[in-house]
Amino acid sequence: MSLDYVKFTNGFEKFMPKEYRDMVEHGPFGKKVSVSQMGSFKEILEEHPMCAGCAMTLFIRLAMIAVPNPEDTIMVGTAGCGRLAISQAAIPFVYGNYGDQNGVASGLSRGLRLRFGDKPKDVVVMAGDGGTADIGFQQVLHSWFRKERFTTIMLDNEVYGNTGGQESGMTSRGAVLKMAPLGKKFEKMDMLQMAKVAGCAYVATVVPNNPRRVESVIKKAVLIAREVGSAYIQAYTSCNIEYAIPTDKVMEDAKNVENDRYQFTEYVSEEAKQYLAERYGYKEFLPKPAAPAAAIPNKA
Amino acid sequence: MYLVADINVEICAAKSCKLCTQYCPEANTIQYSEEMGKDKGFKYGSAYVAVDRCKGCAQCVWVCDNMAKNNAIKMIMIDQLPLAAITDNITYGDKSTTAVLVSPSV
Repeated sequence: MSLDYVKFTNGFEKFMPKEYRDMVEHGPFGKKVSVSQMGSFKEILEEHPMCAGCAMTLFIRLAMIAVPNPEDTIMVGTAGCGRLAISQAAIPFVYGNYGDQNGVASGLSRGLRLRFGDKPKDVVVMAGDGGTADIGFQQVLHSWFRKERFTTIMLDNEVYGNTGGQESGMTSRGAVLKMAPLGKKFEKMDMLQMAKVAGCAYVATVVPNNPRRVESVIKKAVLIAREVGSAYIQAYTSCNIEYAIPTDKVMEDAKNVENDRYQFTEYVSEEAKQYLAERYGYKEFLPKPAAPAAAIPNKA
Repeated sequence: MYLVADINVEICAAKSCKLCTQYCPEANTIQYSEEMGKDKGFKYGSAYVAVDRCKGCAQCVWVCDNMAKNNAIKMIMIDQLPLAAITDNITYGDKSTTAVLVSPSV
């Protein structure tokens, strides 16, 4: 949980694999990196067993670059495709039982605050739509009502992709899947509205076909979760296997879905806006100066 | 035999949009090198593929053709690549990476 764990033990440098040496010497730890520099530094994410062309992997890759302090971050996850990639990274990963990731993260986040005080230690939950909206629903909602200070990211592929294609709460109405051959009869759950009702300080939807937006959304969410309250990001990360999307058309699908039902939305509470503007200099959240009286044309 | 992405340095070094590096789902697979283009007299550097990590999904091809409209990336069989970068031969600099190109092991 500090820069001390990303360095060589004396005398062992020459025995370490190349990937490890690159990570220590050219990784993003202790530096500021952005998506525009991708391809020129060693990334936190390593090789992983996710399917070729998976949009979820792309989102996880961007998220790993976007976290503001990777050396002070712990990821929490649960069963689902996402953990196959999240666990192959140079950030500590805690694997909860199915559905209890937000409970684990609540305890972890409180424990880190007790142990390290004001020094920021970020807890980021990344779980699928099944882990967040179905099986972990109760713990997710309770952590939001308690205003636990960590970020919850839903990797929404709208299906149980790991187990053969069952419908989930986040599947759209009418979607026909391998294990839901008659089509889903109910509407997609409105988790965004629920997050706002439960009192999250930051709620956003994002699609990975805009890397810079993914980066900015995750940075804001993690910074807000440090002090203000819960943050929730819902990311559309299509399952190209269960929805039979050709791998080279994954980004085209992301674009279509973004136009159809996943428009970018962002809700920032007033307290969070003030915090971002004062602490981190976000200009868009600075209070707007009142228009001078002379600028208003007087038609009388 | 399987397909991997291959980037045309002449087209890439003329545009250097870097979009494919941001859209590849695999980490550290499409890398960026300043020397690869500038050594050949182009204004910018070029992206290149670490073929041992490429899973052949061709997302970069769609991005290059439709978003950047450069048409610089093609999928080709790995045994037909004359030279390619592999992870072991990549070194990282401050602003870009450098790869020693070798014939890919098939």
